[in-house]
Amino acid sequence: MSRPNGPGTGEGADLDPSVRIGLLKAMMLSRTLERACCELNPRWFPAEGEEGVIAGAFFGLRDDDTMAPHYRGPFLAYALRGADLSRLVGQALGKANGYARGRALGFTGPAAMGIVPWVAGDLGTTIGVATGCALGFSYEGSDRVTVCSFGDGTTNRGDFHEALNLASVWKLPIVYVCQHNQYSISLHASEVLPIEQISVRASGYGMPGLTVDGNDVFAVHSAVRDAVARARSGEGPTLIEARTYRLGGHWASDPGGYRLPEVQDAWRDKDPIPRAVSELVTSGDLTQHDVDSMWDEVRQAVDAAVTVAKACPDARLEDIGANEVFADVSEGMSALRGERGEPWLA
Amino acid sequence: MARLSFAEALVEGMRHELRTDDRVFLMGQDIGKMGGVMGGSRGLIEEFGPRRIRETPISESAMVGAAIGSAMVGKRPIVEISFGEFLPTCMSQIVLQAANLHYMTAGAIDVSIVVRTRIGDGPYRGHPQCYESWFAHVPGLKVVMPSTPTDARNLMIAAIRDPNPVIFFEHMWLYHGVREEVDNSPTGASLGKAAIRRAGRHVTVVSTGWMVHKALEAAETLAVEGIDVEVVDLVSLAPLDIDTIASSVRRTSRIVVAHEAWKVGGIGAEITAAITEACFFDLEAPPVRVGAPHHPLPMAKPLRDAFVPDVNDLLRAIRQAMAT
Repeated sequence: MSRPNGPGTGEGADLDPSVRIGLLKAMMLSRTLERACCELNPRWFPAEGEEGVIAGAFFGLRDDDTMAPHYRGPFLAYALRGADLSRLVGQALGKANGYARGRALGFTGPAAMGIVPWVAGDLGTTIGVATGCALGFSYEGSDRVTVCSFGDGTTNRGDFHEALNLASVWKLPIVYVCQHNQYSISLHASEVLPIEQISVRASGYGMPGLTVDGNDVFAVHSAVRDAVARARSGEGPTLIEARTYRLGGHWASDPGGYRLPEVQDAWRDKDPIPRAVSELVTSGDLTQHDVDSMWDEVRQAVDAAVTVAKACPDARLEDIGANEVFADVSEGMSALRGERGEPWLA
Repeated sequence: MARLSFAEALVEGMRHELRTDDRVFLMGQDIGKMGGVMGGSRGLIEEFGPRRIRETPISESAMVGAAIGSAMVGKRPIVEISFGEFLPTCMSQIVLQAANLHYMTAGAIDVSIVVRTRIGDGPYRGHPQCYESWFAHVPGLKVVMPSTPTDARNLMIAAIRDPNPVIFFEHMWLYHGVREEVDNSPTGASLGKAAIRRAGRHVTVVSTGWMVHKALEAAETLAVEGIDVEVVDLVSLAPLDIDTIASSVRRTSRIVVAHEAWKVGGIGAEITAAITEACFFDLEAPPVRVGAPHHPLPMAKPLRDAFVPDVNDLLRAIRQAMAT
């Protein structure tokens, strides 16, 4: 079930204009927010160039679905669920205002947002946890779904194999999105993957696998939307390989040196944001003025968040929470604590 | 009341929670029509069916990950890892995800899962590895090892109800080796408490699992010689109930710690260190540890018998503690 790669495939042509505009704005937010984090924290992970996959995967899910975003570009998912942008930026900086109160890498938020957080630096375990969310939905007989994204390198982890096999055996409502940026830190996919297309791995798990152009946000979203519908109706999981390119380093201050500049330049020309802008302006859904206004709105929101976060003190010593390692037995279990804000792009 | 084996009591604990709470389910291998490894889930598939008693592929990491994820969305899963020997295959889920999630999200997420597994020398000549101390080392995990049918039932219920990840170690020799009248009504047990199984005045023996029974046997032998042994069943490796052990040692002035796991880096090392710190001036003799020698567990019976600490090792250790 491989779909052709490249522009002009017409994938996603049936998307409603409001969805297409929403996808563009989601990419703009992801670009601006993650770039701000990279400027402030040299160890943040640049997601630049991969926003077509990030927005395409997580835009338009239901409020009661869960998301398990890849660590590269995680904040859009939280913003879509109403996270306070200044708290996200603060979290990336280890500030007291961060949702994790300085305890974790930045990729966490209120559990009530229904997002599988990153609490460790290993790769692959979040795929198992996301699959568990889908198991919970299947177990309760609901039509909720989970969308889980991860990198191409992570598909070499045993956790990927075990989770996809389990999800297929139990027909769990989950969509696996491989954010294929071609690099495992410094290693090109061709050095560590014996296959050209990761989507072919799906056939080993008896689930549909397809490859889409990850720099075409409409194609990604269209494929995810169809897979979500399939999962919601009880037909089981899907693996979507969305091929893109990591324009930045592995971390923000990564000196690089392991890639060819002309290849990087060629991919910069395929930037998913100008590409979507061009399509929407050509189709008449947006004017250039509309586009400029959208950028202004996003930049103002992120600038304001950065100003608040920078002014915030570092996490305080009382946030260490040595007595908060365990949940209190007497309170019973509450799997979903915390407030949800007004979703961004609602 | 019913006279139950350790294995039957474990099943009874799970059955109680499966009946009262639909959020509870069990997943693992061979837990259905086979009745579970060594009968560890016998009768559950007949009563609760395949939705609640879920047979899984051999994918321990995915099983624990799936438990964590389903707990995040409000379920209370029990994962059965057939043998403790397989725990290394799901360590990243247990140690990196389950242990961290509550703290790292500043309390936003509870990981209410039970990972139950079999350890210790038993009827099989295989799979007996005792890795329990690894889990006690990691903050965020509760580690339980019952030694009686009553505790097996009651602590299983407490583990399922606990909002934290609990690693539940079931000693294989105990499975069909001990039997007692078990009250099938209580549900209020709490995790994290040691139990004094035999009161004594001269020396405290702290032990776990099957070693508790060996310690009781050694105590009877030594009673004839006029040595009065207090036997403490650790029950919980994490949290560690140092208070109960320390107050016992303050009375007896001597301590022996015995477990089937390797002596090097075992939970006995932590206990003797903690007791030395807390009770140094109460001690009349250096603490003595009993544990397996530091080589892998051999298979042939005479070699295995030499490897697994037995009553004679305990008698030697207690006499050593009494000699000073």
